Amino acid sequence: MKNEDMLMHVRGTSRFIDDIPAPEGCLHAVLFTSPVARGKIKSLDVSKASAAPGVAAVYTHKDVPGLNQVGHIMKDQPLLAVDSVEYIGQPIALVVAESLRAARRALKLIAADIEPLEAVFSPREAAAKGLIHGKRRERVTGDLAGAFAKCKYVAQGRLASGPQEHFYFETQRALAVPGEHDTIKVHASAQSPGAFHHHLAEVLGIPMHKVELDIRRLGGGFGGKESTAVWITAPAMAAFLLKRPVKLALERNEDIATTGKRHAYEYDYKLGLDAEGKILAYEIDLYQHAGACADISPAVLGRSFLHVSGSYRIPNMRVSGVSCRTNIPPNNAFRGFGVPQGTFAIEAALTHAAELMGVTPEDLKRRNLLRDGDTLPYGVKLEGVNAGRCWETLEKTSGLAARRAAVSAYNKEHADTKKGLGVVPVCFGISFAQTALNQASALVNIYVDGSVAVSTGAVEMGQGVNAKIRIVAARTLGIPLHWVRVDTTNTSRIPNASPTSASTGADLNGMATKYACEKLRARLLEFAARHLSCDDPAGVSICDGAVCVGEKGPVMNWEKLAAAAQWARVDLSEHAFYATPNLHYNMETEQGRPFAYYSYGASLTEVKLDCVRGTYTVEAVEVVQDVGESLSAEIDLGQIQGAVVQGMGWATMEQIRYAPDGRVLTGVSGYKVPDIKFVPAKFEVTLLKDSSNPYAVCNSKAIGEPPLVHGIGAYLALVDALRSVRKDKPIPPLPVTPERAFMYLHAPEEGK
Amino acid sequence: MTSFILNEQLVRTEEHPGMVVLEFVRDVKCLSGTKEACREGECGACTVLVGSRQPDGSVAYKACASCLLPLGDVDGCHVVTVEGLSGADLTLVQQLIVEHSASQCGFCTPGIVLSLTAFALGDKKLSYEGAVNALDGNICRCTGYVAIRNAARALCESLARIDAAPAKRLGEIVSAGIVPAYFKEIPARLAQLKAEPAATGKDAVLVAGGTDLFVQKPEQLMESELCFLSKRSDLDYVTADWNFLRVGGAVTIEEFRLSEPVRKYFPALEGDFLLHSSAILRNKATLAGNIVNASPIGDATIILLALDARLVITGAGSQREVPLAKFYLGYKKTDLACGELVSEIVIPLLPKGARYHFEKVSNRATLDIAAVNSAVRVTTAPDGVITDLRLSAGGVGAVPLLLNLDSFKGRKVDAATIEALAKAAESEAKPIDDIRGSAAYKKLLLGQLVCAHFTRAAAAGEAV
Repeated sequence: MKNEDMLMHVRGTSRFIDDIPAPEGCLHAVLFTSPVARGKIKSLDVSKASAAPGVAAVYTHKDVPGLNQVGHIMKDQPLLAVDSVEYIGQPIALVVAESLRAARRALKLIAADIEPLEAVFSPREAAAKGLIHGKRRERVTGDLAGAFAKCKYVAQGRLASGPQEHFYFETQRALAVPGEHDTIKVHASAQSPGAFHHHLAEVLGIPMHKVELDIRRLGGGFGGKESTAVWITAPAMAAFLLKRPVKLALERNEDIATTGKRHAYEYDYKLGLDAEGKILAYEIDLYQHAGACADISPAVLGRSFLHVSGSYRIPNMRVSGVSCRTNIPPNNAFRGFGVPQGTFAIEAALTHAAELMGVTPEDLKRRNLLRDGDTLPYGVKLEGVNAGRCWETLEKTSGLAARRAAVSAYNKEHADTKKGLGVVPVCFGISFAQTALNQASALVNIYVDGSVAVSTGAVEMGQGVNAKIRIVAARTLGIPLHWVRVDTTNTSRIPNASPTSASTGADLNGMATKYACEKLRARLLEFAARHLSCDDPAGVSICDGAVCVGEKGPVMNWEKLAAAAQWARVDLSEHAFYATPNLHYNMETEQGRPFAYYSYGASLTEVKLDCVRGTYTVEAVEVVQDVGESLSAEIDLGQIQGAVVQGMGWATMEQIRYAPDGRVLTGVSGYKVPDIKFVPAKFEVTLLKDSSNPYAVCNSKAIGEPPLVHGIGAYLALVDALRSVRKDKPIPPLPVTPERAFMYLHAPEEGK
Repeated sequence: MTSFILNEQLVRTEEHPGMVVLEFVRDVKCLSGTKEACREGECGACTVLVGSRQPDGSVAYKACASCLLPLGDVDGCHVVTVEGLSGADLTLVQQLIVEHSASQCGFCTPGIVLSLTAFALGDKKLSYEGAVNALDGNICRCTGYVAIRNAARALCESLARIDAAPAKRLGEIVSAGIVPAYFKEIPARLAQLKAEPAATGKDAVLVAGGTDLFVQKPEQLMESELCFLSKRSDLDYVTADWNFLRVGGAVTIEEFRLSEPVRKYFPALEGDFLLHSSAILRNKATLAGNIVNASPIGDATIILLALDARLVITGAGSQREVPLAKFYLGYKKTDLACGELVSEIVIPLLPKGARYHFEKVSNRATLDIAAVNSAVRVTTAPDGVITDLRLSAGGVGAVPLLLNLDSFKGRKVDAATIEALAKAAESEAKPIDDIRGSAAYKKLLLGQLVCAHFTRAAAAGEAV
């Protein structure tokens, strides 16, 4: 079963925001943003811009009809700056004009006098100055001091992981169309229908029932469209005030420079092992580079906080984390949502510890892998752990031991090139860590011709959630797929929907769809038994689009059943709701059951490093992933391949450079994401056999984010190769760009 | 007036010839299948096919980034967007992408369809490697490319039996379902089109490909008179005589790379220029334009400096020759006066005993600008003594550098000489910290690349 949108994608007929024919009289909006990282706005003169040819209006914070606020978790982010700015790229004014060209020309006529103030760009410095979002979090489990005293090996040091630009192909954009009676319809490239619906109503100062947010599909999201209300509310505000349609679309370089990224982190780690290599104690401090507003950063930090132990049993642990308030654009969600960063630290620390012990990292990891009955630091006693099975499968499919021997032999024979291996086990908690978000609803309508329309809060962005929902609906109703269509995500049909993120899109919305279809099916079966005068109502069934009675073949087809039921005044529409059961978490004690279940995986990455030039190739990636009983193996395979390569990009080539004043220097010509030639020739994915999962729809498992963590394997493999040359320097930060690899090998001292 | 065939339709438009095809098809023609995702030729989402009439009357198709493709450059051509490929049925390329699930969010997919279609239409060997090369400018952020590669492999397998004889090829391609039947009518239809001659105004901005120009100042170009060198068929040649390779000022990087004289006299350049840029840019960018763009890190410039290229510069009624090494006067400043153009690039064939080698390191191995690049042409006597040495370096100064290494003439190429050369190169390098890397990195890297010139070129026996 494929994502049926592909049939349109290949023809270029699938509609993204900019492909919706512009309504008559559509205006174009652009944002005037801060050129200063931190400062006081002393004066702002938009009069020349307002008078420029083709300009319909220039708005400042004074013109916001409702609440000038788009903060996602905390109300700390004005839509348009009031009297101060906190980062370069912060919106100050909104220019609306007859054409995009006219709007861009007018931008240059805005005069802002901003007095620069001291800005902070280092997360550690921000933390030291007490510049943090929310509270510092800390949890201590077990007897840390006692455990470290018993350790034979202690690996200790500092680490860092870098930012990552989403590089979704469709940049942030929305089209707003005013309606009668002060209503408005907004088409947006957005992952959070419920939250953005709420933001729109607040900014416009009207009740939510006057706002309709409609989302057909996204040209990529990856988390980057989860908390980004600015680019949706700004055109809506203009449309609302001018009573004309307004479109806003960021240019690529604006998007790179002013929107959030995956958070960079800095770490202090201390990992203690006994003589046998058993982890006894782990201390880890997380400094999250959050940016100027809280955005969604505290939630991302929370997820890192819950995943710092990776796939390992760690009896004594202290973890702390702070969301550091720095003067860069607020960072936000990115596929993995803090888990890759949390997992990275323990993986790197284990590499360090393995060196101290004189064993291979995979040997050490194998000994400490989670198993049934282990308790996670936040108090969850694990069952159904597939970490070991994934690892063993990988050992077999990849011939891990022989691969290690081959790499060692190669490295003995070669001076100018070196090989390296990285093995990563993945344990990824599934559910929103924020318990309240674990809810979804579905609306299923059966029409008299038998066709079925499903609406949910899930947003399609290429991950195939609509295809999975379609499968669930067809399977539950007992009809062929062609009867079912998944409609747009629309706040008038599905209110208050949680974002499509945290890998939960299919889990939550699929389950709500299943519930709605079960109710419809029960109602139709009851009707069919009556209609067909069956003696035994329990013997009536719907299979492959036909009603069957007992052992007899089909007696009535699906469309006749629908028509007859409607004529008999049976309700053919159903709304259902799903809330993931048994979730709870106490932020005071840092204990609870935040996740419904865990997705497991294991992977091997092999690289070849050119020691002369610092360049490298990833030669092989082999992944074993636990997807439960997959709803669609084709879709899951695509999600795994895409996530792994995206993770590899984060670990290797993707980097953002900032000027000393906080400007983002890297534009589209400098921000490199993996291309077709970067992807290793050997790329193998094995779906774990005989895995089932009672906690998600049709026994499947979430797949969107967990495989991204395998990307860390590229980092580990490169470090493995680098360390085979020299070990007299600390382990390098992530990503290992060719520059970092080169300087590690050739510079006298790191960073000099 | 610009006239061309867009898909099946004849278009005559008075839009400014500097309007890019992407804007024209989306905003004027309401064909929204061509996507805009970067507007700098970096992603491939806006790829279209441009078919141009060949001297023999046939039409040759190339995939181009439509965001950097001005209307004036497609005058008299056949432009194909994704809407021009499929009727009721999907084309073979489209079918294979669906079959292999090689599309997720779908935003990059039309571009991938067109790049693979261009490959099927134009590649002589139809090898899997060629298909991957054809896709080197198409970025996909969703699939991880594995499925795209599988679709490309399947395409090559499907086309294995295509008769590549030029006369039969188009018919075979149509029968294989790569392009619709109307493509067969295109050569005759294009023959009827009268393209405008190149503008000759004194102040006209020369567009020699435009893949840098349309990134740098698209709005300005919309307001200028433009002279498209693609219309100057008199400048479209690559020839070789006893001593020199001569490249006309309108020759694209891809034409140059694959030309017979280059393959014969400088076989290494075919691969070296593959690193220059992606297929969708190489099909448009010209060698002369790349030189005039004066990037201190341009691969073409660095290679041609080592090869001792000279430029023939033509002005109104005048012509002069300038060694490339004397062409750059400062950062982005050249010895080219207003009204002059680089009409020919003259590259001396390798002297007896000379070897050429090129090194480039970039953050991403392909389709990326170098952190440092360097080329060498070293001539040695039979006893191994250096008789001539030209070594260039990019990314380490305001202009592409030709290093002054005359003192090495007369020395034997041995470990000590190589080390001294690397040190000498490092000391001449004056790099700055920028998005391509730190100054310290570039300096050290240049030293390593200089060593690699000799060790790698010697070891691999890459005498050319």
